[in-house]
Amino acid sequence: MNARNTELVPSFQRPVSKVLIRRAANYQENLASLIHESLCEFHLPVKDKTVLLKPNLVGLDPLGVMNTHPAVIAAARESFLRLGASQVLIGDGPAMDRDTEAIIESVRLREFVGPLARTFVDLNVDDVEEVVLKTQASRLKELYLPKTVLGVDFLVSMPKLKTHHWAGVTLSLKNMFGVVPGSCYGWPKNILHWAGIDRAILDIIAAVRPDFAIVDGIMGMEGNGPIQGTPKACGVLLFGDDPVAVDATSCRVMGLNPVKFKYLARAGTLLGHLGAEKIQQGGESIASVRKPFAVLEAFRHVLE
Amino acid sequence: MGTETELRFLQTICLPFLRSAQNPDGGWGFQPGSESRPEPTSWALQALIQSSWPEIPEPAARAFQFIRRTQLPNGSWPPIPGAKTGCWVTALTCWALLAEENSANAVAMGLDWLCKEWPQDSTPWRRLLATFSSQRGIFPINNSYRGWSWTPGTSSWVEPTAFGLLALGACPAALLPAAAGRRRKLAELMLYDRMCPGGGWNCGNPLVYGVAGESMVIPTAWALLALGNQPQRSENVLSVDWLERNVANIDGPGSLALARLCLEVYGRKWPSNAPELSDYYKKNEFLRNVQIAAWVSLALGTKRHFLPAQLASTETP
Repeated sequence: MNARNTELVPSFQRPVSKVLIRRAANYQENLASLIHESLCEFHLPVKDKTVLLKPNLVGLDPLGVMNTHPAVIAAARESFLRLGASQVLIGDGPAMDRDTEAIIESVRLREFVGPLARTFVDLNVDDVEEVVLKTQASRLKELYLPKTVLGVDFLVSMPKLKTHHWAGVTLSLKNMFGVVPGSCYGWPKNILHWAGIDRAILDIIAAVRPDFAIVDGIMGMEGNGPIQGTPKACGVLLFGDDPVAVDATSCRVMGLNPVKFKYLARAGTLLGHLGAEKIQQGGESIASVRKPFAVLEAFRHVLE
Repeated sequence: MGTETELRFLQTICLPFLRSAQNPDGGWGFQPGSESRPEPTSWALQALIQSSWPEIPEPAARAFQFIRRTQLPNGSWPPIPGAKTGCWVTALTCWALLAEENSANAVAMGLDWLCKEWPQDSTPWRRLLATFSSQRGIFPINNSYRGWSWTPGTSSWVEPTAFGLLALGACPAALLPAAAGRRRKLAELMLYDRMCPGGGWNCGNPLVYGVAGESMVIPTAWALLALGNQPQRSENVLSVDWLERNVANIDGPGSLALARLCLEVYGRKWPSNAPELSDYYKKNEFLRNVQIAAWVSLALGTKRHFLPAQLASTETP
């Protein structure tokens, strides 16, 4: 079933990762061109392939500050189709609310993407397959995961640039909590919290490592994220072929030290690059777009 | 009672969709053509039985068999056939099997498991540890009140607790385990403790870091139905008011269907500015979700025999 290569490779054996930062002042910009041009720099192997975009859809969000913005999702979909992908699906399994359709309607995804009945996959209720976890960083030995996620050729994590009251930040790695199906584990997927969020993130990423990440940092969220935080305009999109490197770079843009996050530090040993010396930085410099994020008291130690 | 348009929508779209989505093994998946699972089978079964009550329709017999086949030796039901651990789905399957006399033994076993399954966050040891936790102020909840978790070894949450209460509430006394009364009392207390400050419920976090949690429609509707034996209690009234105020803003058919069912059971008039369920089908075909189609069918149907007796009395003519 597993069509993608998710073999674990120690980070010291991995080639240098590439991360690109682009400015985008707002969601009314021509994001399709910007994203297409950015993707072209990575020479992605998506021609005639099935691509799954995994945005971060966490709840009802009429103001567009909590979820990956539909303009970014639609532009990414259009871009992958222009790159020759045979099919570009959008899928997520929201963690707190089982009314997925209410969430995608509240963010106006249909207005941007068109009819969703056969384009959007509710990963909470997809058919599942039992996957033995390679890392067993948490006490979970196996997980049921959606067949759509396991079966696509190319998986793209599309988080929002946000702080998180349990994990510290929620970026392209934490975003993959959304592939764990609610129909097997409930709403919320409380088994992951009991297993330890930091460790569960590693187990999930080792099982379904995204091939690419696009971070919606045009409007982020600081403070008590991922739902009740404060909107934070940052005006950036981040792209990369290594989700760990993308998250590390995103942290630096947020004024946070990625090494101080337990799950990122551990991910940096086995799942991608954390150190700036192993990340080829393109586009805007971090310093030029850096916007320090406010964090909860419990996370003051992660400030740079 | 539904309008003529709604009843036509029920008869020509929702019920045929459910009938056609049944798999040869008697069960339903979450989408047409997907693998059968106990949860969507239970919802589809409830909807089809209510649509032909008191007749039991032919597809139901095969569905009962599918559900009974997927029961684990300890009496519980897993989320998918073949999985080894039971979960919240046990309350839903027991609730659906109540419509068939042949399933009495399976129901009794299931409810017995349910009454012996305690959430992990509120064990005496955990409660003791919690008194020393630096995070005890983050979630100011009373964890001596105990409901049900989604999966074993985890915390109490609103929806599985409501499902447990509804299954026990709909069950004839003869099938109830001895512990049912105590579990129901603790679960009701837990739900009231988890209500959001302005009425209504979310998944179970009424207050996080001092910020009031936002209520959500689906947990609110299930909690209100589960607590329907106390309709005049101030928390119920506050929460029904919240639900009524928010109907016009509901974006999803699942939420809309359950809000409709709940407000009807509580004797509230369906707001004139409420969206139409049939319009929602035109948008995304309910994402071809069997469970949503079943909830919509239950909401638009005229029969309420699946609810505990005191709620079923609100049945529309």
